[in-house]
Amino acid sequence: MAYLPFDQEPSPYAMMNLPTREQAGVLIVSVSGAQGHPPVLLDFGGVDYISSAGLRVLMMASRRAKAQKGAFAIAALQPLVQEVFAISRFNLIVPCYASVDSACKVLGS
Amino acid sequence: MRPVAGLFLAAIRAGRGRALPLLVLLVGLLVLSEIERTPLLNVREALFDQYQRQMPRTRTSEPVIVVGIDSQSLVQHGQWPWSRDLVARLVRTIQAGQPLALGIDIVFAERDRYSPEALASHLPGLPPETLTALPDPDHELASALDGHPTALAVIGLSRPLPGSTQPARPLPEFSLANDLEPHLPRYLGALASRPLLEKSAAGEGLINANPAKLQTSSERGVLRRVPTVGTINQLPFLSLPLEMVRLALGGGEVVPESGAQGMTAIRIGDYRLPTQANGEVLLHFGRASSNYYLSAADVLAGVHPPEIFNARFIIIGLNSTGLQDRIVTPLGESLPGIDIHAQVIESLLDGHALQRPAWMTLAEESTLLLGGLLLIATIPVLRPRYAVISFTALSLLLLAGGALAFYAGQWLFDGASQVLLLAPVFILLLGNTLIAADSRRRKAESQLQRSREEAARMAGELDAARRIQMGLLPDPGRIFADETRFSIAALLEPAQAVGGDYYDCFLLDERRLCLAIGDVSGKGVPASLFMAISKTLTGTLTRRQGDLGLAVRDIEQELNRENAECLFVTALIAVLDLVSGDLEYVCAGHDAPILLRDGDLSQIDTSNRGGPPLCAAGDFPYLAERIQLQPGDRLYLFTDGVTEASNGTELFGLSRLQAAILAQAQTELKTASTALRDAVRQFEAGHPPADDLTLLLMQWHGPLSER
Repeated sequence: MAYLPFDQEPSPYAMMNLPTREQAGVLIVSVSGAQGHPPVLLDFGGVDYISSAGLRVLMMASRRAKAQKGAFAIAALQPLVQEVFAISRFNLIVPCYASVDSACKVLGS
Repeated sequence: MRPVAGLFLAAIRAGRGRALPLLVLLVGLLVLSEIERTPLLNVREALFDQYQRQMPRTRTSEPVIVVGIDSQSLVQHGQWPWSRDLVARLVRTIQAGQPLALGIDIVFAERDRYSPEALASHLPGLPPETLTALPDPDHELASALDGHPTALAVIGLSRPLPGSTQPARPLPEFSLANDLEPHLPRYLGALASRPLLEKSAAGEGLINANPAKLQTSSERGVLRRVPTVGTINQLPFLSLPLEMVRLALGGGEVVPESGAQGMTAIRIGDYRLPTQANGEVLLHFGRASSNYYLSAADVLAGVHPPEIFNARFIIIGLNSTGLQDRIVTPLGESLPGIDIHAQVIESLLDGHALQRPAWMTLAEESTLLLGGLLLIATIPVLRPRYAVISFTALSLLLLAGGALAFYAGQWLFDGASQVLLLAPVFILLLGNTLIAADSRRRKAESQLQRSREEAARMAGELDAARRIQMGLLPDPGRIFADETRFSIAALLEPAQAVGGDYYDCFLLDERRLCLAIGDVSGKGVPASLFMAISKTLTGTLTRRQGDLGLAVRDIEQELNRENAECLFVTALIAVLDLVSGDLEYVCAGHDAPILLRDGDLSQIDTSNRGGPPLCAAGDFPYLAERIQLQPGDRLYLFTDGVTEASNGTELFGLSRLQAAILAQAQTELKTASTALRDAVRQFEAGHPPADDLTLLLMQWHGPLSER
């Protein structure tokens, strides 16, 4: 199990390569190199806006996860981002959880 | 002409613009070391003269009295030369006052005109008794000179002339080092007084102010240097004023000090005067004064008490306009030649002369080299204004250094020549800097021009793309101009030149109107290309496929075929039955349209069957939903360019949109659409739009029959 922010306790998957870049004010994390395809969870607690370009990145991450038979999810969405997800029905593409804990319960099992 | 100019430019720029200045600097060094042969010498002399004018020697005491045989004396005692018994009377009068030394700046080379022999040959009738009774003037003068510290004048001659002799009173104690003699003025003969007089006098001194050796130089009549010692057939003689001092000291020892280059100073007793290598003194002139000039006539008449001559140096000389030589001093004053003797004596007693030792040349060459190298190192890396300041500062430093050296110790340091020699070095360096700056500026200009052209070309292409994209969008006001069952207004403004939004409106058949609005993820050129495909496919496939849900699935399938960039499209496609008011719609991740009915707003429900954007999931089974419209209903379709317009802190949002819609509820559609757009732009308050903005407004007026 690895999620962002990921600077707390070293996980068995700490060798994951997590280069980040910023686009339109959004921090983008490219996840690669993890072995065993653990579920990937993005903590969106600090994200207050997402553009269609950001949605596209999530979509591509989701596709990549699907291709590797892994899981990719988002947790703790702020209301405005929640609204964007609702309108664009992106919750149908990327599973969204109310909090990191609740996500872990589902994904970790 | 061009190749020459090119060659010149290449020379200036060689070695990063430093090669030529370095060469010029070396030439400057050469010129400085050979300055005596160049016109630059005039600059140097003028500078040194200027120093003397600004800071002349202060003449505190008057140790010298000049007894001048002036016009008044000639009027009273007859024409020159006087009989020597008259001169003897003058000498006796002066010696009665017991001067330190007496110098006579007159050569008594021939027999006196009034000697008995001369008179006898002149007047043959004179009786011999009368002749023998007559006094011999030469004897008179000799006896007057005898026993007193008196020096006679000697004129050194570089060629033996008729009447030239070897003077009889050389310096008794004077050891010339072997290597020193060639530096000193050498004479082959001299005009001296008669042996009788020489014998009676205590010493003899040279009065040559311009030794032949210097007559070829560019002295230009200004007397700056005076010899101190010279040799006549290898026998040393001091100059007249120095000889007077020597006699005053009771025949003190004279020692020349010498260095590798020649003489450096001359010492008489405890007095010392710095000299040049050839034994010349660079006199530091004081302002002329007539205080110490007495008329010989007055002296003879006993006007002055004898005490006036006591403990002073007295010089008898010619001071009459008709008889004398006049010299010009560096101070620009014209003085009788005998004044020089007075100034030399004063200088010796003060130990005060201008100093320009042999090492000064080396010092000047070193500062020139250092200054030049400093310029060559710094000017190329400085901006022109600082370059000019640096050179000015260096020049001022050199000039001020020279003035300070003169002020502090009468050292003659030539800063002016160095500034003049550094100037071409600086000009070349600055020229190169300016040339480089100019070519950089030109290059930058042409680069700017190129990038402007590039931008213009790009803008032109984007403009063309924009026109094509806008051309893809239908103009509802034109295509539905005669339509009475509904009215439509549409508006699309890309955030950039081209955008990823689109809308469409067309009749599927006589009673079915298709409305579509879409938003490709991202914006700009990539989105615009995908927008064109999406818009075309939407139009084609909704016409072909009867079921709207299946049509949307077909559209997604087609879009997915060539979607390497993984773009996706949010879209809302609706089909209105213009007779029944039945509205069928599919929502693919798009904002739900707003319905205005009887002044009330609601959002069409897309939550049940709405799917993700096209191409986001890949295989979503889109299903159509439907609602029943009532005549007069207005439908507002929009993209997130409206709701997500930002003023920097907030987003425009749905509630502001709804308020704007209500404010324009009764307005005609076209006007309402632009009013909505204006509301958004006003909210943005100058912030650049973040996304493309699209509005599609449709009002159903009801079935044709009801109207």
